[in-house]
Amino acid sequence: MDDPFDLIAGWLHETVLIPALYAMGLMRWEDLAHGWVLFAVYGGVQVALTLAVCLPLERWRPVERWADQRAVGVDIFYTILSRVGVLPLVTFVLFYKVQVAMNGWIVDHGWIPPTLEHAIPALIGHSVATFVLYAAILDCVDYWRHRISHRFRWWWALHSLHHAQRQMTFWSDDRNHVLDDLIALVWFGAIALLIGVPPLQFPLLVLVLRFIESLSHANARVWFGVVGERLVVSPRFHRAHHGIRAAGRRSCNYGAVLPWWDMLFGTANFSRAYVQTGDPSGEEALATGTWLAQQRAGLRRLWRTLGRLVRQV
Amino acid sequence: MAMCFRLGVTVPALVLLTCAAMGFGIPRGLASGVAFIVNSSSASISVIDMTSRREVRRIPALREPHHLVLSPDGKSLLVGDTVGNQIMFLDPATGAVQRRVTVSDPYHLAFSPNGKLLVVNGLARNQVDVYDAAAMTLIKRFAVDSTPSHLDFSPDSRFAFVSLQGSGKLAAFDLKELTLRWTEPVGPAPAGVIWWRDKVMVAIMGADYVVVADPATGKVVHRIVTGKGAHTLFLAPDKKIMWVNNRASGTTVSLDAETLKTIRVYNIPGGPDDIDFAPDGTLWITRRFAEKVAILHPDTGDFETIGVGRSPHGLWLNPAAPRP
Repeated sequence: MDDPFDLIAGWLHETVLIPALYAMGLMRWEDLAHGWVLFAVYGGVQVALTLAVCLPLERWRPVERWADQRAVGVDIFYTILSRVGVLPLVTFVLFYKVQVAMNGWIVDHGWIPPTLEHAIPALIGHSVATFVLYAAILDCVDYWRHRISHRFRWWWALHSLHHAQRQMTFWSDDRNHVLDDLIALVWFGAIALLIGVPPLQFPLLVLVLRFIESLSHANARVWFGVVGERLVVSPRFHRAHHGIRAAGRRSCNYGAVLPWWDMLFGTANFSRAYVQTGDPSGEEALATGTWLAQQRAGLRRLWRTLGRLVRQV
Repeated sequence: MAMCFRLGVTVPALVLLTCAAMGFGIPRGLASGVAFIVNSSSASISVIDMTSRREVRRIPALREPHHLVLSPDGKSLLVGDTVGNQIMFLDPATGAVQRRVTVSDPYHLAFSPNGKLLVVNGLARNQVDVYDAAAMTLIKRFAVDSTPSHLDFSPDSRFAFVSLQGSGKLAAFDLKELTLRWTEPVGPAPAGVIWWRDKVMVAIMGADYVVVADPATGKVVHRIVTGKGAHTLFLAPDKKIMWVNNRASGTTVSLDAETLKTIRVYNIPGGPDDIDFAPDGTLWITRRFAEKVAILHPDTGDFETIGVGRSPHGLWLNPAAPRP
């Protein structure tokens, strides 16, 4: 059966992108560009689906009501930049040569990144199961990335931008400092050297995972029940992570999709409270500034933190 | 009629042939056999019954397969899975997986005409690898600038010619000395490469032409306008027509192989890419952005379509295989 989103991406690629690439003398990127169009189409679907579900939910059972919601507008901008592929594309273009050089260097030194199927041949031919296993492993890897980002002051200086939002909504998932995103990219790149990348043919499953992450930030009194809370990260569970008192090193509930890692490593908090969010230790621009002001404030905080660290040394 | 039965022609087959000859809506030139279509973004290989022209099943790959090539002994069909870092060996008749060999980023791959070497382009690592075909051991790795795309050989197996999509050049590797002989500019984003009549032809995807280069020096001696985004080149089995797919204009062009003059332009929307030739005279063409394979009837210009997976790329027909 034809995949309608793939066909839309194909149509856009053929009628808009290829003529543009040809006119600009950029046809060497044509093959890769097809993948980016698909990324953008599925990103648009992700945003639409999240909006369709989360917006009514936030209207129906809001944790907080705000008269002025301008701070939310910046988060919408973050979401669009990230989900339709603008930021990932810029990152890709900037670091493409580095990535290719790294690929060649690693292969030259005798390392060919394996896949999970190399270690577990029984997975071959069971691509959905393989995807699920990758998703679980990468969620665990992300748990540790996230937990460590709260541990080191210099990293927290960047990650605090994500926590600065006092008006947390489903749009807040993608509000990150670009350097924090870059560190995440390197983190997962290193993991890919060890276990390869997951099967790429399930954009709908990726969509579901991203939806859970967005939903977990929703300004909604939603929890999944005693059992459900222990299966998938809920808005209530993740709100505890964003709580004012949990900012920085004292946080809990680092998991993005699965709460299992918090349960396993002793950081789970299943309190039923819906706490206030934000980071009082950061400057106001991190919370209510424009996209650019927030990025600059993150850099300033990083600079100050590094300065303190140097003086201590 | 009696003659037909003596020749072993069954009644249903005779009815089909008669209907076909009278044009009663049955596809002309019914072929038997199996077609393999590599779905790059679905990580699979579609197995198509060439008779019914239906997809029968999909062989799972690991991550992102692109091109495929038949082994010199005809016993294996090799499928390169770039992101999966693997070459999968399939039974060319049934598609059964024979074995898997770990190879980094195998994009385009081809055996030298003498069958002794396998050359693999590592598109995402700027390297060209030369393997001992029998032992599948690496003999030599060349670092190139940049994005090695397609390749072909001189008939004596001495040279391999590789298009370097990122730098707009063609590279010639001496496979006897295992050295890079020359690298010469041929045009923006070169893709398909083919040896033809003591020259090397290269499709220039960033322009609307195919170049003819001198294999000794790499200098371009001739340009043939085919259409925007010239991407791949395939020689018909009778060697009378050179076929060119143009990615940006969405066309397939037939050139007189003798004169290299355009014979006809066919509109094949959806990103025409690789081609293989069926015994009934049709061309099977992958359409990258349409999840389809086109079966082109060159005489009428009509084409049928078969639905496959995402981003169909390489394909190979085995008309001699039993129906899958």
